[in-house]
Amino acid sequence: MLKSPQSLPETHWLARIRRALHHGDRPWQGLLILVSVLVIVLMLAIGGLLWVDSSGSRSAFGWSFLMPTATPHWDPVNDVFQAWPFLYGTLETSFFAILFALPVGIGIAIFLAELCPAWLRTPLTWMVELLAAIPSVVYGLWGIFVFLPQVVAPLGIFLGNTLGQVPIVGALFTGPIPASGTSRLAASLILTIMIVPTIAAVARDVFLAIPLAQREAAKALGATEWETIWQVLIPYGKSGILGAVILGLGRALGETMAVTMVIGNSIQGGASLLDAGYSMASIIANEFAEAVSQLHTDALIEIGLILFFITLLLNILARFLVWQVARQAPQEARA
Amino acid sequence: MRKNLSVSMFVLFVAVLALSACGPAATATPQTVVQTQVVVVTATPGPAAPATATPLPVGSVQITGSGATFPLPLYTQWTYAYQFVDPSVVINYTGVGSGAGKTAIIAGTVDFAGSDSLLSDQNYTDGKDLQMYPMVAGAVVPVYNIAFKPVPTPEAGKTAIVLPKLILDRQTLVDIYNGVVTKWNDAKIVALNPGLVDYLPDAAITTVHRSDGSGTTEIFTKSLTSFSADWKAGGASSVEWPGKGLGGKGNAGVAAQVIANPNSIGYVELAYALSNGMSISQLVNKAGDTITANGASVQAAMADPAFTFTDKLTATIVDSGVKGAWPITGYTYIILHTTSMTDCVKAQKLLEFLKWAQTDPAAQNGATTLGYSVLPDAVRANVLAKLGEVTCSGQPVLK
Repeated sequence: MLKSPQSLPETHWLARIRRALHHGDRPWQGLLILVSVLVIVLMLAIGGLLWVDSSGSRSAFGWSFLMPTATPHWDPVNDVFQAWPFLYGTLETSFFAILFALPVGIGIAIFLAELCPAWLRTPLTWMVELLAAIPSVVYGLWGIFVFLPQVVAPLGIFLGNTLGQVPIVGALFTGPIPASGTSRLAASLILTIMIVPTIAAVARDVFLAIPLAQREAAKALGATEWETIWQVLIPYGKSGILGAVILGLGRALGETMAVTMVIGNSIQGGASLLDAGYSMASIIANEFAEAVSQLHTDALIEIGLILFFITLLLNILARFLVWQVARQAPQEARA
Repeated sequence: MRKNLSVSMFVLFVAVLALSACGPAATATPQTVVQTQVVVVTATPGPAAPATATPLPVGSVQITGSGATFPLPLYTQWTYAYQFVDPSVVINYTGVGSGAGKTAIIAGTVDFAGSDSLLSDQNYTDGKDLQMYPMVAGAVVPVYNIAFKPVPTPEAGKTAIVLPKLILDRQTLVDIYNGVVTKWNDAKIVALNPGLVDYLPDAAITTVHRSDGSGTTEIFTKSLTSFSADWKAGGASSVEWPGKGLGGKGNAGVAAQVIANPNSIGYVELAYALSNGMSISQLVNKAGDTITANGASVQAAMADPAFTFTDKLTATIVDSGVKGAWPITGYTYIILHTTSMTDCVKAQKLLEFLKWAQTDPAAQNGATTLGYSVLPDAVRANVLAKLGEVTCSGQPVLK
């Protein structure tokens, strides 16, 4: 057992070491710095590894790997690879997932934070958070056997017959959807369900953090409930809501299992949401273990690199947006 | 007091050790006990019984392998049964995919690899002394889900019409996957199926393929390549599929897509199709014979004298031309280092296991029960002879 510091004379060697280390503050600080630096090193290491390991594919295809094309090739036998169908599939499904999830997620958050009776709040919050805890493979299975045939297939037929006939927008809704419902639409909707809880939970916390005085002030000026929410609370929590959206988008971009199970895994699909498609995470998960050639492996790693860059860019963009919003109205950005 | 405690802790520790040592036998369910007895009884006259005078301690030899998922159920069963034959050996096989298995055996991180696909020349150079050994064969079958036109209700006193199985020939299967034959009532399909003329629907064919790279896809696409020059995508564990097909992950994913999409066709392993009661298409083989996929027709393909083995014991057995042979079949292999294994005890145990798997009747029956086709005698003799050539430190491993 060591003696307590008080009992040691000032000149004792142990006491001197303790003083030099600010009684443990310095090692603690060092430890924290080490952990923080580790995160940065890890980031750089992952990026560096993806960059180095994809060199074969990068030198073979250059920028043409990423270029949009109407007749994409992903041919492991003849070593011809283009990432466009996967890039397009990931971006389209994530975009629509956010589009669908944003109003629903914000709606749930407003209800939970502002309008919900107290007895319902806890069970409802708990249920929403439970949605986020369901493993994605379960979403995939449920999607294949219940959601796709019951909801997506009929919805796809309906969209094909209505929006599909409209010029310009119709290009995104050209049918027919496969009878099983496997399509980018299915992937978007499954992703929507998966990211709604993320958006709802973060946005709810944002609303709860808004000071009561804001609401009281709005009400005192004669604002209705709707006006308070729409004109005071949402502008106040803008940057926080944006953060929620970015979190959701991050999950949508990287989601692998559920998407693989419902998207159809076809590189031939057109631009339409109702076609079967492919995503970047799916092709890696599907083909990496049994890659045919070295170039095939390299091309898959390059897709990983692109996904990594997209996520990175998105985070930088999000930081920038949050910073912009905060700069415009510093007093509103505390939430 | 403290001394007493440590003594009792030691006693407890020894007791736990002793318990865990006899764990497998002690905790086995009645069913596995029966299996144990069968295995032991049938193995006794064989060469697999531990040859060493003083048996090694239980679980003292750890052998690891990884690779193809196609034979995973079989290897799991074999390694489980083998711990009752030779308790000193623990064999772990993980299904990580043929490609990953090949990489692992070349890098020397595993003792053996499983693979459905062949090693490339570069692999042989990198791995120095690799040798492949066929273990069992499997078949891949086209499965379909056609929404047939309604069968008229039978008149009183007559039995209802039962629709016959769909029949396809090699060219038509290629045409369907190429998107050339697009409807189920295409003249080519109708001509092959006189019994279905009135019932084949005027509906578009949806093709389903494996989205994950797999040995199943390799066997199937190699067969298509052999069936017709029209198949341009080649044969590999993943290929660029022509047409607007759907991809499903694993046998289960393909099956789910075929079941969910009326008027679709896909391909799965025979064992999977049988155990899930799917509609399996018959195929007209190169000899013009209409074949039903089953153990006998796969055996016939393996016995085809046209399929000769290379000195690496590999053979591509697709598109057999003999009567009664199923045309879409393939071997699954074990890969070993033949001269550079350094742990001779481990090498001996591993080879004894492989020999047991090929010669023990219970092991072979297990393979058949799981839907695999065991090697014909001539091929097995080849495999055993090649296993006998493996050396460790210059000495033959199997005596």
